[in-house]
Amino acid sequence: MTKTISRRDFLKLGAAGAGALALGQMLPPKVAQAARDAGTINAEGNGFVHSMCEMCVWRCGLIAKVVDGRVVKLDGNPEHPHSRGNLCPRGQSGLMNTYDPDRVLTPLIRVGKRGEGKFRQASWEEALDLVASKMTAIKDKYGAEAMVFSSTHNLSQPLFENLLYAFGSPNYGTQRSLCFNAMIVANTMTYGMEEPARIYDDELKYILLTGRNLLEAISTSETHDLIMAIDRGAKVVYLDPRYTKTASKATEWLPIKPGNDLAFHLALLNIIIGEKLYNRSFVEKNTVGFDELKKEVSRYTPEWAAPLTGIPAETITRIAHEFADAAPHALAHNGWRTSNFVNSFHTQRAITILNALMGNWDVVLTEAGGEESGALGAPPQPAYPRISALRLDGVPWKYPVVPFKIGVFQELRDNIVSGDPYQAHGWFISRQNPIMSLPDRGKTLKAFGKLDFIVTVDIVLNDTAWFSDVVLPEASYLERYDPLMPMGNKVFLRQPVIEPQGEAKSALWIYKQLGERLGLGDFFQYEDEEDYIRQQLRPLGVTLEEVKAKGYAEAPEAAHSGESSELTWNTPSGKIELFSDTLAKVGFSGVPTWDEPPQPAEDQFFLLTGKIATSTQFGTQNNQLLHKYSEEPRLWMNAQTAAELGLATDDWVEVTSEVGQIHTQLLATQAIRPDCVYMTPGYGHLSKGLKTAYGVGANDSAVHVTYTDPISGGQALSQTFVTVKKA
Amino acid sequence: MTEIKHHAYLFDATRCIDCRACMVACSVENNIDMDKTRIWVAGVGIKGTYPDLQRGTMVYHCMHCNHPDCMSACPVGAYTKAEDGPVTYNPDLCIGCRYCMNACPFSVPHFDYDKGIIDGAFIDKCTFCPQRIYNGQEPACVQTCPTDALEYGDRDELIAKAHERIAAHPDRYIDHVYGEFENGGTSYLILSHIPFSELGLPNLPETPVNEVSEKVMEMTIPFALGWGAVLSGVAAGVGLYNKKQEEKAAIAEKAEASK
Amino acid sequence: MKLNLTIQPRLRLNFSPLVWVLLALMGIAFISAMARYAFGIGAISDLSYSYPWGFWISFDLFTGVVISSGGFLMAGTVYILGIKEFEPLLRPSILTAFLGYIMVAIALLVDLGQPLRIWYMMIHWNGTSVLLEIGICVMTYLTVLAIEFAPVVLERFPKLQHIAHLIHRFIMPFVILGVVLSTLHQSSLGSLLLIQPTKLHPLWWTPILPIMFFVSAISVGLAMIILESSLSSRYFQRGLETHLLEKLAKALPIVLGIYALLKFGELAIAGELGYLFTSGTMSILFWAEILIGVVTPIVWFSIKKNRTSPNALLTGAIIVLLGMILNRFNVSWFAVKHPDPLFYMPTFMGNVKYFPTLPEVSVSIGIFAAGILAFGLLAKYFPVFDDEHHVTAHAGD
Repeated sequence: MTKTISRRDFLKLGAAGAGALALGQMLPPKVAQAARDAGTINAEGNGFVHSMCEMCVWRCGLIAKVVDGRVVKLDGNPEHPHSRGNLCPRGQSGLMNTYDPDRVLTPLIRVGKRGEGKFRQASWEEALDLVASKMTAIKDKYGAEAMVFSSTHNLSQPLFENLLYAFGSPNYGTQRSLCFNAMIVANTMTYGMEEPARIYDDELKYILLTGRNLLEAISTSETHDLIMAIDRGAKVVYLDPRYTKTASKATEWLPIKPGNDLAFHLALLNIIIGEKLYNRSFVEKNTVGFDELKKEVSRYTPEWAAPLTGIPAETITRIAHEFADAAPHALAHNGWRTSNFVNSFHTQRAITILNALMGNWDVVLTEAGGEESGALGAPPQPAYPRISALRLDGVPWKYPVVPFKIGVFQELRDNIVSGDPYQAHGWFISRQNPIMSLPDRGKTLKAFGKLDFIVTVDIVLNDTAWFSDVVLPEASYLERYDPLMPMGNKVFLRQPVIEPQGEAKSALWIYKQLGERLGLGDFFQYEDEEDYIRQQLRPLGVTLEEVKAKGYAEAPEAAHSGESSELTWNTPSGKIELFSDTLAKVGFSGVPTWDEPPQPAEDQFFLLTGKIATSTQFGTQNNQLLHKYSEEPRLWMNAQTAAELGLATDDWVEVTSEVGQIHTQLLATQAIRPDCVYMTPGYGHLSKGLKTAYGVGANDSAVHVTYTDPISGGQALSQTFVTVKKA
Repeated sequence: MTEIKHHAYLFDATRCIDCRACMVACSVENNIDMDKTRIWVAGVGIKGTYPDLQRGTMVYHCMHCNHPDCMSACPVGAYTKAEDGPVTYNPDLCIGCRYCMNACPFSVPHFDYDKGIIDGAFIDKCTFCPQRIYNGQEPACVQTCPTDALEYGDRDELIAKAHERIAAHPDRYIDHVYGEFENGGTSYLILSHIPFSELGLPNLPETPVNEVSEKVMEMTIPFALGWGAVLSGVAAGVGLYNKKQEEKAAIAEKAEASK
Repeated sequence: MKLNLTIQPRLRLNFSPLVWVLLALMGIAFISAMARYAFGIGAISDLSYSYPWGFWISFDLFTGVVISSGGFLMAGTVYILGIKEFEPLLRPSILTAFLGYIMVAIALLVDLGQPLRIWYMMIHWNGTSVLLEIGICVMTYLTVLAIEFAPVVLERFPKLQHIAHLIHRFIMPFVILGVVLSTLHQSSLGSLLLIQPTKLHPLWWTPILPIMFFVSAISVGLAMIILESSLSSRYFQRGLETHLLEKLAKALPIVLGIYALLKFGELAIAGELGYLFTSGTMSILFWAEILIGVVTPIVWFSIKKNRTSPNALLTGAIIVLLGMILNRFNVSWFAVKHPDPLFYMPTFMGNVKYFPTLPEVSVSIGIFAAGILAFGLLAKYFPVFDDEHHVTAHAGD
């Protein structure tokens, strides 16, 4: 019988104890005064507050029910385009995030050795002064570039970037190279935008999904759209070495050999171009480079692709025909986490080009509304100082076409270890968990060892916080304001549902406080969170009070290039670039080209990882509500293969790669290719401050090998090969 | 929304992605302990041999049967069926005998084996979220379902909708709405692409499973009275017979003695 | 000077070893029960969502009730049918029944989730519930048994003997009531399973379950009287009423024959004969129950020698009991379908492994020990086996 705290208990517990810490008595959570003022919460502490989820980056709008000053239920906001009234399991569990007994509620300063988990509570004054002094000392001694800043993808990102750029460091670590660099750079090269928006309308007949396990890696509204498309009768062809839940709903599941999505798509292009199935007029009018493309793909026949992918040539040909028949109501989905193989960039290029050839622009794909709306205001701030230092992550001197804003995170980490071209000395981390997210955990820990000072902003003692010198407690998303989020013709507000517990503070406050101590106050010209948002709202002519009531305000939509009669794209040629001169100029192939992936040895398996509906990356494993409804993480192995190796379900096995070894239990299943094994990422935490998550499962980053695609900077997460033996 | 005369759920197994949002939502809405649940997913899971695979799971909670077997079985009447659908459990009457757990053909009621005599060990099951449905909201599980696998509405309307859906996609669905007639009809209707037994649903006839049991119970008092009458008759008859024998013996004795 | 210090024991408990063992078993049961009351049923047993009923229900309720069926059998025989010669067997069987039902009640006080609410069954009535009927019948019948047994106690006290006589005079209504109640609840234990047609294997489920249970209860009652008499005669070193037991043993094959007819007849009519050999473990359990509880005793007691030999009588009775107890366990536990090992989420739902734990079984054993102890004490100090006492002289007046 699992000994977990009952929900009744935790609501009474508050912030009792986290590991070796002895937290003081928590203040009773008060209903956000602001919500009271807005009338959304009444005098008894009951009411509803509109806000936004942060359990993943989809950020569904939610309506929080408050009773007696406590959040008791979250429901999707019907008026938010990402939720449409629904919340996924993580969204529903969000209040457990806020009421997690393991939350960090005061600033912590390390007293033991890194990794011992011995911290002492400190006041914000002391902690912020310490952080500022350490950062300043590093800047003075080694230059601003010796301070690395990394944050994943927050609504408070603009203020984070203020800290980074104003401080003068070029070293911006986002996690994107662990996720979708390949997709973004490919889209940028082809369409001149990071990611087109997908249109799931009643006409959509055919969807080609390459990976993108939408029914487990849930993006609420898009997951809904996909199921509705299937419901209407659209055909979904799904490529994945695993029989995921998406596979179970897809019309056709192709268990493709890992690393060979590229071969499949090149063969599709071969058929579509070779048999002239593409949209001639669209291609002539809106694309450049068709001839180069045609020349390149002429050798990628289905017969060539069949042995590489494990998919019969007739199937590939048939799918090409079906796709073309359904066009333009056929969508080749880019996927999302495209950091699979070094050749993933070319796969992404092939996919974007496939869409372009079908002429499905403004039918199934269109320009997305950006997340930075030009319509919103912002506090005044001076210009950033010029930064001359090289970036540690090799952009652009090693990775010429990787955008600055996304960088190459694993390279950054590698060069902290190597000290090349210079040694970093400090790391400021916010809403990010590099110890778990970066491949090769051992190397990340080594990087930590090279740094004089590490400070982390987080809400629980995640692994990265566990190994830091200072931990600054951010308020959970139900307890804070964040900058407004534009979406289509609305801007959405995240506002506190309850006052932050303990001493937790919003990132807006933390960054400003830190900024001021670093002499960068001019970049944080707002009194408090509300003032910041008011300044954002000024051009819209609405008051904060109005926005608080509904959770959003109407805003003029960003200018859409689709509105003009002429279609243009933000590429050098102004057209869709089937051949990218930008790539060719720096020595890469201008068209998608075959890049043979590495093969595992006889006794090795591809190590696959992927998402599940009940967790988000590495941050939610401590959430007891999600834990309750999650399977125990296991190593999946094909049942036949397991039998041949003399392994059975529940056996303890040793999984070894060239960088690390883990022990975990086996699950023999039919749902995976014989040459692959799978682990759910995000387990095997080192932090004992995560009482629910500690001791559960094994860690994937401990065995992941670092491989970087030279074009997009993307990490190749599925390129790690492991041996599996009985432990 | 038209007025709901009989609250019901419609579950479409082809849309369910086993994401468990419904389960988390129910746990939160109804403040359920971490080691208990009112709603669960069950089914055959993954079936077949690689690569010819199929997956079947379904979300379970109380079926809110039209002829609830729990209500029939409970000795103290702790279950009631509202006219508009929901079957409600009353912990104030419950004696914890757990007969309802056996009686329910869907094995719905859960019992708290971890409570002693002071806290009291009670049954728990889906309540149909009365705090929501009587306030113009959908049940928590339905509201949050990202794929509309769970829907809510009036029973007749949902049944009609279900049949329409089958008619629109005849090769996708099994031509049957489970719960329309099973066990005398339930308020949780199910559409499926695979045999219902693979979703874990029992094969039930249209007559409620409590029918035989209730018929026998109806006969109890008449039987008792009848049997009592028979026994009284026998006892009286035997008694009379024995008395007569004794009188005969007494007369014979007297006759003997007087000789 | 030598001090003569001897320590005088204040309390001399001169119990036989058997009594010590019984007391120890009762003590262990008490501790287990206390743990159950403090921490919940789950603290001492593996009962779960998949197995709401386990050893206690099968052993203490189902078996406990059926082995108490000798009481109404003898009361009906002696009083209603007026067969006075069975009188010597009457009081012991009433006592067995009385203690049996008390044991059932005590076990229920451990098994029920809210034992303090056991009396709710007397005031909150759901007329369709078989369990309610059993509850009311058992509680009422306990009263009847108490009244039927009271004279045994009262006769020990000269001042109270007139009450005993009073009871004797008006015993008939109570006997009739007792037989009716017993018929009802003995059969109702079978009716309990009527509401589970999809969960109880077709080899056992039938609409005539109540009739099957009643007929088998008669056979168990007969066997129990033989058993109890045999054991009492050995333990208390008194004579054995073999001539009476022989008659009971003669009735057994007839009752069991009717039972077999009903059992196979209903399978045939329901078209379920096909399950007899094709149901794997269920077939094995079924045939074990039939061979041990029905076929063997019919053969055994058809042989006159076995009806007249004390050892053979005891053996035969034990065989019947084993078979019929297996039947009760089959119907209430072994043949009941529990959730298949499907995929379950949350995973704690899929707990389909139930096995009785030691503390759980210790409760039942302790209660049983208490029953034996009570029987022994009552038999020792009260005229349970008083053969000279003719109670029927005043009945029917």
